[in-house]
Amino acid sequence: MAETCPHLAYREEGDGKSFETARAFCTVTGSFVQPMRADVCNARYGLDPATDCEFYVEPESIEDESDATDADR
Amino acid sequence: MTYDDYLDGKPAIITAALTGGVHGKEAHPDLPETPEEIASAAAACEAAGASVLHLHARRDNGERAFSAERFQEVADAVREATDDAVLQHSTGGTAAPDALRHEPLRTDPAPEMASLDMGPLNRYDRLTSENTRELVASLHAEMRERGIKPELEVFNDGHLNESLAVLDEFEDPPYLNFLFGGGTTSPPHPRNLLNRVEALPESVEFNVIGFGPHQLPMTTQSLLLGGHVRVGLEDNRYYERGELATNEQLVARAARISEELGRPVATPAETRELLGLRGR
Repeated sequence: MAETCPHLAYREEGDGKSFETARAFCTVTGSFVQPMRADVCNARYGLDPATDCEFYVEPESIEDESDATDADR
Repeated sequence: MTYDDYLDGKPAIITAALTGGVHGKEAHPDLPETPEEIASAAAACEAAGASVLHLHARRDNGERAFSAERFQEVADAVREATDDAVLQHSTGGTAAPDALRHEPLRTDPAPEMASLDMGPLNRYDRLTSENTRELVASLHAEMRERGIKPELEVFNDGHLNESLAVLDEFEDPPYLNFLFGGGTTSPPHPRNLLNRVEALPESVEFNVIGFGPHQLPMTTQSLLLGGHVRVGLEDNRYYERGELATNEQLVARAARISEELGRPVATPAETRELLGLRGR
């Protein structure tokens, strides 16, 4: 059973932006998440972050791959 | 729809795609998301020449919503803010289950138009919006039952095949929307639109969307070929390179081009007559 992405946070500030209502924020890429991608982060509609998100990584590998993150999301 | 329609000065329908469901304020700080913001943009676009308003619904945090209740909120706000524009609800979605895809059709009153994706398309690296034939037929059946005019979304040539195969099932005039961009959408080039138009029976009305920087040239070409156009922040965030646009600006530019080319901008009443809509 898919669960919400462990790298998902809802934040009002980050990535140089701020919002009145907290929005999906990817702690791997360090950027706010596009609304359609948030469906993956939240494991909606049968989607699974671990298999359906190209930015999903194991927590221990985040630091090693920090240079390879794609902020264009 | 032919070049003769252009020469005859056939009115051009401008659809404004105000918000979409893919990107949000993280991509454009003024992209409308709440019912109030969408309604305000809708009113400005109607005043600038849009006779059709393509609507998506969002949650409070900007994420997509498919529920009839949320679409009702958006539609009510837009109707309140506009004079006579045609409302077109989106039924498109990445991986939303089929039941949810029907929800935007179930507002009261029903929208006059709704989008109907004609086949699969990829999103990002690992997502596919399947749009099976079964779902297309099911959505079309409910649209027919509720008097909603479908806009057939033709993202690529395969979808054109699918559309032409079932064209007899749609009330006249069938209304096809050609989309040009990246991924599984047709490559944005003038020759590809020409090929599409040549493949159409004369009874078909067509609309054109060019994503991103292709919005302006594909809009212009559609007008020259007797087609209609869709512009707005759902499809293109920029007025020109490096300069963010507003929905109103994009509609106003399309209206100016249309008038300059001799295609008067269709009023909502003319749009209803051209597309055989039931009225508000």
